[in-house]
Amino acid sequence: MNFDSYDLDPAVFDEMFGADGTPHPHCEDLYDTLGSMSSADLSAIGEWVTRSFTNEGITFTVYGDDEETERIIPIDSVPRVMSAAEWGDLTAGLKQRLSALNRFLEDIYSEARIIADGVIPADMVRDCPQYRLEMRGFKAPHGVWVAVCGTDLVRTNEGFRVLEDNLRVPSGVSYMLAIRKATKSAHRLLYRLSGVRDIENYGLILAQTLRELAPEGRSDPTMALLTPGIYNSAFYEHMFLARQIGADLVEGRDLLVEDGYVYMRTTSGLKRVDVIYRRVDDDFLDPLVFRPDSLLGVPGLLHAARLGNVSLVNAPGTGVADDKSVYAFVPDMIRYYLGEEPLIHNVETYLCRRPEDLEYTLDNLERLVVKRVGESGGYGMLIGPHSTAEERNEFAALLRADPADYISQPTLALSRAPCLIEGRLEPRHVDLRPFILTGAETRIVPGAFCRIALRRGSLVVNSSQGGGGKDFWVLDD
Amino acid sequence: MLSRSAAGLYWMGRYLERASHLSRLLRQQTESLADSPPRDIYFGWHRIYGALDREPLSGALELDSDDLFALVDSFALADDLTFEPTNPDSIRSCFAQGRENARQMRHHISAEMWTCLNQSHLRLQDMEMQDIWVRSPENFYAETAAEIDTFRGVTSSTLYRDDAWHFVQLGNYIERVQLSASLLMAQISAVHLFEIPADAYWTSLLRHYYAFEAYNRASSAAIDPDRVLGLLVTNPQLPDSLSLSVAELCTELAAIGPGPDTEATARTRSQAEYLRQLVGIEWPGGADGHALLGKIDVGCRQLHDLVTKTYFDYPVLAPDQGRAGRHDQ
Repeated sequence: MNFDSYDLDPAVFDEMFGADGTPHPHCEDLYDTLGSMSSADLSAIGEWVTRSFTNEGITFTVYGDDEETERIIPIDSVPRVMSAAEWGDLTAGLKQRLSALNRFLEDIYSEARIIADGVIPADMVRDCPQYRLEMRGFKAPHGVWVAVCGTDLVRTNEGFRVLEDNLRVPSGVSYMLAIRKATKSAHRLLYRLSGVRDIENYGLILAQTLRELAPEGRSDPTMALLTPGIYNSAFYEHMFLARQIGADLVEGRDLLVEDGYVYMRTTSGLKRVDVIYRRVDDDFLDPLVFRPDSLLGVPGLLHAARLGNVSLVNAPGTGVADDKSVYAFVPDMIRYYLGEEPLIHNVETYLCRRPEDLEYTLDNLERLVVKRVGESGGYGMLIGPHSTAEERNEFAALLRADPADYISQPTLALSRAPCLIEGRLEPRHVDLRPFILTGAETRIVPGAFCRIALRRGSLVVNSSQGGGGKDFWVLDD
Repeated sequence: MLSRSAAGLYWMGRYLERASHLSRLLRQQTESLADSPPRDIYFGWHRIYGALDREPLSGALELDSDDLFALVDSFALADDLTFEPTNPDSIRSCFAQGRENARQMRHHISAEMWTCLNQSHLRLQDMEMQDIWVRSPENFYAETAAEIDTFRGVTSSTLYRDDAWHFVQLGNYIERVQLSASLLMAQISAVHLFEIPADAYWTSLLRHYYAFEAYNRASSAAIDPDRVLGLLVTNPQLPDSLSLSVAELCTELAAIGPGPDTEATARTRSQAEYLRQLVGIEWPGGADGHALLGKIDVGCRQLHDLVTKTYFDYPVLAPDQGRAGRHDQ
């Protein structure tokens, strides 16, 4: 009954319904449950989930003209469901991809064989603002440059595609866990009957991963999570994760480097720190190496890391591998380093630095998504089909002025999932950000932060731009 | 424990004690609006503002014998102390700052503590004086004080007894001693100012400390100011007495391990012991009593400075000055 006004579009994959309008087999329990609930009950559950976020203060910070405000991320109470088989395929592809990306980082900051062998152009790497010359010769523990990765996936009728690799300071995992807690409570009977795989051990796995990357001889390492501070939009997550992994939540001013070791200021004196899960961008990490005006970082931190006296997770310089231009070469990296075909494909990407790609992009602006290479969070992009002629003209000028700064991709028909909108179930576009952890081995908890574009027809899922989140259930076989 | 975390928890304890103290004072004060003569009402405001060392936004307090003016003034004064955003010591400001410290230190406190505090914060956030004045301001203050008591109960039930606990308690007791010393000095000053002695001035003070019944049990005689003050300062069984608060403060300080500088640690502990000696002597009464409260007030502020320098903001020695205070795991 609640799906009476739910419209299906054959051009768009629906996470609950097949093309014939019947629910996917793994979604039948959810379909039956939602269908049997009154609109009032559905709304009550939605309100309860939102209220639990409000009471617990699960917020992100938004900065206005003159003040910052704490906001609750809009939460949809209807979970998105995936079968064990589909999840198995995805995890294999995600592990493969991260393995290749770590090999790439190890390579470009040492011998750069991939460049010498002509697989990726040298200027593509070295002109990238996220390529850190200062990291050349750096030895990451176990060759793990990226220990925490959040890969953005989208699904179309052709299957899953990687939209973006987030290899610097990926966020959202705290929402994954908090949304699970609230949704599990709201749908406890359905949750129990469905056989949903557990994700609560994420903190333990993260802690284990960090311990595995500790400097040699530090069997019981002291760990700290380095945050830019309370004004950072993801501060809630930093606090949440520090608690989960039993680490101290430190700011740059709490740390100092002496004789190549990192110490934190405690009530009983200075205490050595072995592993830093840093949530501060490269630029601000160490004013002696990167931005000299940074007040968020720790002078000498990189020196201590180079000496192997402290492990930085993720290592500085990883941003070069999630650059929007370099992204286009990840399938080639997989073939080059692993000798395998990619298990999850990229979105077709036109590099505007290439004259033929620029021409194609300019000729098809109304059909393409154009992204600025250095931007993230949904900023600096043009979504062709939703743009005005004036906006397209503006972007055309930008493209001609600095083509290397842009890429373009076809506008994808992101899959849709049922969401509770004003008491009714309506389809909304969604993406998926699973979190991949690599220490001595690679592990993925069976869950993800599922982002939703709340406005009807919108493809923008970023929380800073009006997006929300929902729970994502992976079912047992 | 990370020094900044310890400082945050310490300040959380201080701000919430401040909010609790003011809520209880304002509860009494607004209760008195129903039937007390204007003179007693103005006495109450003098005592509160004197204790906070603050001038009302509207200027100096002046006695007005008109009932209506007493009520109108009371509305503005209560608003100043409850919701005024520019007043860092208003109840809402204290709550906001206590909650902000808790937000930054959420990884050190229990989820139950945070939820309890956050719910109170959300309740206060959108309120205005008019909202509570038209209903029952005394109930509002009673609820606010009760919410802080609930938070303390939740803290006691859920917080692991490590340094996080000890620094919260230390902040709580240092604030309590300082506020109490200030309030008792303000009481003495206000009594002098208003000249005509009134039992109500003292019974309201006893009620603020939940000490009215205890006083009656111990002293069946009529209200005697020095006996009241003696009870509130030196009685080790009264929960909010200076004596018990200082004893608790010393216990918490002893439970915290030494700071990096052994001399600084010793100075801090000595200062706490000095306070214990002050509140342990027989209440001298008269001008000496006021002087003693002054010494407690100053001694408590000095203790705060020493705690800060010993645990939160100590100087880090340069490499050539040795490696004292460094420890490896």
